Amino acid sequence: MLFYFARRILAAIGVLLLISLFTYAIFFLLSPDPAVQICGKTCTPERIDQIRSQLGLDLPFWQQYWQFLSGIFTGRTYGEGAAAIQCAAPCLGFSFQTNEPVTDMITTRMPVSITVAVGAAVLWMLAGIGGGLLSAVKQGTGWDRGVMMTALAGISLPNYFVALLLQYVLVVQLRWLPFPQSVQFAEDPLLWFQSYLMPWLVLAFGYAAMYSRIVRTNVIDTLGQNFMRTARAKGLDAPLVLRRHALRPSLTPVVTLFGMDFAGLLGGALITETVFGLNGVGKLTADSIAKNDQPVIMGVTLLAAGLVVIANMLVDVAYTYLDPRVRVKSA
Amino acid sequence: MKQRTALLALTLAGSLALAGCSPASDAPDSGGDGIGGTPTAGGTLRVLQNADFSHLDPAQGFDGGVNNFYRLIYRTLTTQGTGEGAEGTEIVPDLATDLGTHNDDATEWTFTLKDDIFFEDGTPITSADVKFGVERALDPSISIGSPYAKIVLDIPEGYEGFYSSGPLDSIETPDEKTIVFHLNQPYADFAAVVAQAPFTPFPADAGVTTTSVDQQPIASGPYRVTEYQRGSTLVLERNEHWSKESDDVRGAYPDSYEWSFGLDGATIDERMIAGQGDDRNAIAGSVQAASIARIQTPEIQERTIQGLQGCTTYMPMNTTKPGMDNPLVRQAINLAVDKQAVKDGTGGSQLADIATTMMPPTVAGFTEFDLYPSDDFAGDPEAAKDLLTEAGYPDGFSFVLDIRNNPKMQAQAEAIQQSLAKAGITVEFNLIDSSTFYEVIGTTSQQHDAAITGWCPDWASGATFLPPIFEGTQIYEKGNSNVAQLNDPAVNARIAEIRAMTDVDEANAAWGELDEQIMELAPAVPLLFEKAVMVVGSNIAGAYAHAGFSGGIDYVSVGLADPEK
Amino acid sequence: MSTVPSELAVESEAKGALPTGGAPTPARRVIATLMKSPAVVVSVCIIVFIALLAVCAPLLAVITGWGPYDFDKSAIDSDLGGIPIGPLGGISAEHWLGVEPGNGRDILVRVAYGAQVSLTIALSATLVTMTLGVVLGMVAGFFGGLADQIISRVMDFLMAFPTLIFMIALLSALPAGNRPVLLVIVLSIFGWPYTARVIRGQTMTLRNSEFVEAARASGARPMRIAFREVLPNLRGTIIVLATLAVPGYIGTEAGLSFLGVGVMPPTPSWGQMISTAVGWYAVDPMFFLIPGTFLFLTVFSFTVLGDHLRTALDAGDAA
Repeated sequence: MLFYFARRILAAIGVLLLISLFTYAIFFLLSPDPAVQICGKTCTPERIDQIRSQLGLDLPFWQQYWQFLSGIFTGRTYGEGAAAIQCAAPCLGFSFQTNEPVTDMITTRMPVSITVAVGAAVLWMLAGIGGGLLSAVKQGTGWDRGVMMTALAGISLPNYFVALLLQYVLVVQLRWLPFPQSVQFAEDPLLWFQSYLMPWLVLAFGYAAMYSRIVRTNVIDTLGQNFMRTARAKGLDAPLVLRRHALRPSLTPVVTLFGMDFAGLLGGALITETVFGLNGVGKLTADSIAKNDQPVIMGVTLLAAGLVVIANMLVDVAYTYLDPRVRVKSA
Repeated sequence: MKQRTALLALTLAGSLALAGCSPASDAPDSGGDGIGGTPTAGGTLRVLQNADFSHLDPAQGFDGGVNNFYRLIYRTLTTQGTGEGAEGTEIVPDLATDLGTHNDDATEWTFTLKDDIFFEDGTPITSADVKFGVERALDPSISIGSPYAKIVLDIPEGYEGFYSSGPLDSIETPDEKTIVFHLNQPYADFAAVVAQAPFTPFPADAGVTTTSVDQQPIASGPYRVTEYQRGSTLVLERNEHWSKESDDVRGAYPDSYEWSFGLDGATIDERMIAGQGDDRNAIAGSVQAASIARIQTPEIQERTIQGLQGCTTYMPMNTTKPGMDNPLVRQAINLAVDKQAVKDGTGGSQLADIATTMMPPTVAGFTEFDLYPSDDFAGDPEAAKDLLTEAGYPDGFSFVLDIRNNPKMQAQAEAIQQSLAKAGITVEFNLIDSSTFYEVIGTTSQQHDAAITGWCPDWASGATFLPPIFEGTQIYEKGNSNVAQLNDPAVNARIAEIRAMTDVDEANAAWGELDEQIMELAPAVPLLFEKAVMVVGSNIAGAYAHAGFSGGIDYVSVGLADPEK
Repeated sequence: MSTVPSELAVESEAKGALPTGGAPTPARRVIATLMKSPAVVVSVCIIVFIALLAVCAPLLAVITGWGPYDFDKSAIDSDLGGIPIGPLGGISAEHWLGVEPGNGRDILVRVAYGAQVSLTIALSATLVTMTLGVVLGMVAGFFGGLADQIISRVMDFLMAFPTLIFMIALLSALPAGNRPVLLVIVLSIFGWPYTARVIRGQTMTLRNSEFVEAARASGARPMRIAFREVLPNLRGTIIVLATLAVPGYIGTEAGLSFLGVGVMPPTPSWGQMISTAVGWYAVDPMFFLIPGTFLFLTVFSFTVLGDHLRTALDAGDAA
C-alpha cells in the first residue's frame, strides 16, 4: 500500500516536471524576446542586454529552466549587487507587464476562483446526482427522457453562449439580477450571492448534464447486478436499496470526474470568469495570454496542471475507501 | 484610451507660447456639454474601468488616462488647468509659486516652491525631493514614461539615474524652496515640461526604490492610495496633509475614490445606463459603439458628456516597401478608402468624425482640405484604379496591413480591406498582440507595408504633431514613430524652417500648410478624429471632458452632487 | 468547456457501454433502430441542413446578393453607433437573418461560410485524431510491452495537461500563419489520447479472444491479425467515438475563436461571430443568438446522434 502511494506520488511529480519543461520550452522557442517587451517604448540595445542578463535570459535553455525550477523551491535572486531583487519561494518569477510577483498575483485571485468553483460544484453535484437518480429510477419514462434531453443540451451549449443569454435575459431584460460585481461576502452578502449566481449556474449546467448521465448509467448498471437482485430478494425496501447499495458504487466514477473537474475549476474558469468580469485565476490566465505575459502563463499552467495531478492522486485514495474492490487491487 | 496611446507621446499640453491661442474650445466639434453644478465635498466617487492603470509610478506611466489619475495623488511644479477646451490645456503653477523664471536664452530655469506643501506622512516637500524625483525617474529600468526630462535636461553621458549614478549636477537646490534646472538647449516651453509626471517629488530619504513607488506610491496630492489590488480595485482616501489653500487647481471634492477594474466594456456601459445603487455615484470611460443607441433617451442624454480625443487615427504606409515607395500607389489607396465605412465600424458619427487632414481640429493652425475627395467619403475605386494603372499596377496591388488584435481596430481594418478590394487592391492582415503592437510597428525591420495607428499631439501645436510622424531625421530602428518612414528633402527642409520661426501665428499657419504639402505625397491615409462619449451617474457633478487627457473626465474636478445619497 | 471531447470520451469509458468485441452489428439493424427515434431523425435532418448550408454557401451568396465580406452601409445607422436598422437585428427581405452592426455584413451568408470553416476544421481534426488514436491505441493494446508503456505514458501526460489553457497559450504564441491548419494540429495533439485509450482497452480484450487465438494458431502475422481480425471488430466503437468527437471539436474550435485565438477575421466562424457580438448583446441580441443557435444545434445534433448510435450498437451487441 505504501509502495503504491509512493509510486503514485513519484509519477505525479514526473508528470508535473514534464509539463513544466514542455511549457517552458514552448515559450522559450516561440515567444518574442521578453526583454524587448519589458524594455518598453524608449529602449536601447544596451538596456535590452542588461534586462536579459538580469532575468537570466542570456543563459542556455537548460540553465534557464533549472533556475526557474529551483526558484519554485528555494526562491531566487534576480540581478546582482545593489540592483538585486529577491523573490522568495515559491518563486514563479515576476510579471513582465506589471512587475508583480506571479505567486502573489495568483494567491490574490484564488479566493474568487474558489468561490466560483465551490458554488458551482455544490449546484452541479446536487443537480447531477439528483437528475441522474431520478432518470435511472424512472427509466424509460417521460421524466427520464426529459432529464436526458436537458443533459444533452447542457453538454452541447457553449458556456459563453449560456452566459450571454443569462445576462441578457436576467439582467438586461428582466432586471432580476444586478450586473455581477466583485464584492466580498462580508461587505454585502446579498449582492455577493447575486453576483456569483450566474457564473455558478453557467458552470453547473454543463457539469450537471455530464454527471446526471453518468450517474444514470451507473445506477441502472448497478441495479441490474446480482447483489442488487439479492438485496431486493431479501425483501429490503426500494429507497433503502437505492441508497445503501446502488448509490455508493455508482458514485465511484463520479468521484473520479469530480476530482478532475473541481481541480480544473480551481485553476480558473477561463471563459466564465472572463465573460462575467470576475477577477479570478481564469481571468488572469486570459489576460496574461492576451498580453503574452510568459511568467504568468507559466505560473497558471503549472498551477492548473498541479491541481489536476493532485486531484487525481486524492481520487485514487478516495477510491480505496469508496469501492472495496479497488482496495484489493491496489494492495 | 490607454491602449491606443501606448506609444503616443501625450498631453504635454498647452505651452506658454500657446496659452493665448485657440486650440480645442473653438473647434466646431470639440468641447461639448459638461455636467453642470459644483460638487459638494464628501462621499465616495466610483470609477468603473476596463483595464487597470499602466503604472502608479509617475516615472513609468505615460498616457492620457493615467496622467489624469496622477493629479489626484501627485503634484508637480506646474500642471494643466481645469475646464473645457483651452482652459484645461493651459499650464498653471502647482507646487511652484509661478511658471518659473529663466535666463536670457532660456537654458536655465528657476522655480520657487509654495509653503504648506506636504507628503502624505506630513513631511514638507522640499526642492531636494523634486530633484530626487527627477533623478529617480531617469533610472533606465523605469524611465519608460514621458521622455522630456531626458530630452531637455543637461544630462552627462552615461548618467543612469540616482541609484546607479548618484545626484545630477544640472539640477541645483540652493535652498529648500528653490530649484534650478540647467538645460542642454534653449527651451521656451520648459514650464510645460515640468508638468510632466516624471517631475513628481518623492522624499529623498524615505527608502524609495525603483520599484517601490509602483507598489506603494507616496502621495503629494490630495489623496493617498489606501488599498490596491492590481487589476481589481484601487481605493484613494484623503491625504490629511494636503492643504486646499496651497492648490488652485484641484477641487478634490469626494472623500474617497474607488476604482473597479477588469470590467467588461459592455457591462460598464450597461451599468452606467442603468445607473442604480452605487452606480449613481460612478463615472466611466467612453462608451462602446454598441451602447450609442441606448443612450439616446433624454434621461441618459442629460448625463452624457462628449469631447474630441484630440488625436488622429491614420494608416501610415511604409514608403520604403516596393510599391508603397510609389506616391501614385499611395494616392490611389488614399482615394479608394471608404472612410464612411471605417467610421461606421468605429461607432458611427457619435464616436468619430472623418479626417481628411493629418492634424486634428484641436491643433492650432489646423487647415481644412481634402486632396482625395469622394462622394460621401465612400472612396473612389475607379479613380484609384486609374492611378494604379498609371503607376504600373494595372492588375491590382496587394499589401500587408499591421493591425492590433482588438475589435475596433479589426473593424476599421475590415472596412479598409473591403473598400480597397473594389479598386483591385488586396489587403492581408498581420494581426499583432495588443501588448507588442507598437513595438512591432515601431521597429523598422519588423513593420509591414502599412499599419493602423493613432497620434496625439503633446501640446496643441503642429510642432508636436507633424515632425514626429513625418520627419526624415526621426526614423529610428526601434521606437520609431515615423511609421511611414517618410524622408522627403522638401518636407524635412520645411520642418527645419518652421522650427526656426519666432512668430507663433506664422508658425502655426505654416504647420497647417505643411500638412497639405505632406498629404500631396500621401505617406498616410488620415482616417478619423475619434471622440469620447461618457455617461455618468445621476449624482455626479462637475464632470467634463478634459482636452488634455484624451477627452477623459477630469478627476480632480468631478464630485458628487449630494454625498448623502 | 462542457464541449471538450475528453469528457464525452471519459464518460463512454466510465459507462463501459461501448460495444466490445464480438461480431460487428449488422449496419441495417442499427439504422433501423436509429430511424425509429424521432430525436435521431431530427438530428440527422439538422446535420444535413447545416452541411448543405456549408456546401452551398457560395450559392447562397449569389442568391442573396451578399458576399461574406460585403458591407452594406444602408442597413446600419451611422448616427446610432452603427446599429442595424429595423427590428431583430435588421432582419428584412434583403437580409434574411439581419446584418452585423457596424458594417452591415449579411449574417446568414456569414453563418453559412462560418459553417464551412467550423465543419472543415472539426471533420479534419476528427479524421486525424481517429487515425492517430486507433493506430496508436491498437499498437499499445495489441503488442503491449514497451510500445504500450511509451504510448500509455504519453497519453497520461497529454491528458494531465490543462488542455484549454495550453491550447490558447500555444495558439497565441504561434505566428498567425494558416489558422485552420494550426487549429486542426493543436486539436489533434490533445485529442488523440482520448480515442487511443478506449481503443487500447478494447484491443486488449480482443487480443485474447478466441478468433484472434485461432488466427494466431494458423500462423498469421501480427500486423495481419491486427488489421484483419481486430480492426473490423472495433468498427462500432470507432464510429461512436468519431460521431462524438465531431461536436467536441466544433465546440472547442468555436471556444478558441471566441477567445480570439482561433480563426482570424475577416474569415467568419461561429465562435468569432459570437465573440464580436459580446459587446452588442444588450442592444442587438440577435447578433449572438443567431450564430449561437447554429452552433448549439450542430453540436446538439451530433451529440444526440452519437449517443443513440452508441445505444443502438450496444443493443445490437446484446442481441
